[in-house]
Amino acid sequence: MWTFLGSDVMFFGAFIATYLVYRGKSLNGPYPSEILNIPITSVSTFVLLMSSLAMVLGLHYVKSGEKNKATLWILVVVVLGAVFMGFQFVEFREFAHLGLTPRTNIFGTTFFILTGIHGAHVTIGVLWMAFLAYGSHKGSLRADNAQDLEIAGLYWHFVDIVWIVIFTVIYLISATDGPPPGMESVIHG
Amino acid sequence: MTNLWRKLTYHNGNGWWNLPHGPSNELNPPHEGPIGGVWLSNMFRTMTHGGVAHAGPGFYWLIGAALGIITLLEVWLFGVEGLGGWYVPLLLGLSALKFVGVVAFFMHLRFDHRMFTYVFVSAMALGILIFVIILFLAEFGHQPPNVF
Repeated sequence: MWTFLGSDVMFFGAFIATYLVYRGKSLNGPYPSEILNIPITSVSTFVLLMSSLAMVLGLHYVKSGEKNKATLWILVVVVLGAVFMGFQFVEFREFAHLGLTPRTNIFGTTFFILTGIHGAHVTIGVLWMAFLAYGSHKGSLRADNAQDLEIAGLYWHFVDIVWIVIFTVIYLISATDGPPPGMESVIHG
Repeated sequence: MTNLWRKLTYHNGNGWWNLPHGPSNELNPPHEGPIGGVWLSNMFRTMTHGGVAHAGPGFYWLIGAALGIITLLEVWLFGVEGLGGWYVPLLLGLSALKFVGVVAFFMHLRFDHRMFTYVFVSAMALGILIFVIILFLAEFGHQPPNVF
């Protein structure tokens, strides 16, 4: 899993670097300043962070043999992961409604590819956790094979830390980005 | 097919992907601490009531609360006027704090077999190097055109 995570670091690093290289170079809107909703994304970020907390609690209870608590906390991970996906779905739909798609401008392309790939990772994680929650409920996930959950947990935490970077770089730092410098008068006449 | 799936995904001692048996396999391994020296280990020991390896749920709640507070702080900074050149470094610093918090306390990297640290840290260093090279090229090399 650590090897996979190492390769995924480079994978996401390439997409984040690409986003930064093309940051502020869109010639037509919508621009980040017109479209990004920081309060809503802050809530979804908080949800994902709390899912990581639920993950370590689930692992703790699996290791200590408390089956019901373990199942509950793994289910909390599933629910919080699904809530995060819901936020992302609503955000993507809202952006499309406001005219931003991957084809609209370079911001749309780099934004949707990066956040979309992250969303795909979250989706895989939610399905994985759902299987493990079922396993915990059935009793096949126990203290002696808790490493199965630990490995899934590493993946889940990684998805979380990637979002920490995305939230900072795309949402907080780029949220005031408008047209490229010198282009405002050209674009807006 | 079922056997193949089990071998690929289960770690019960019969799979193909058996990992080295490290302290993280134990319920109460002998040590665990964040990245850092003695003072951090002592602080960790104090906060985990004895420092017996994996922290308890209370400690995890504490870390979760800290991560939430840092996120709130970031959002608050977003609305603060007049930070000027401090805005981006402050946000990056807070983001790094959250990153380290999750990796050190939730992911147990320090606690796993040292090989995993080498694998992850070298990949991370390579990733950051590529990241920095791309940004330097974009800044000082040929500028990418304004596209569409």
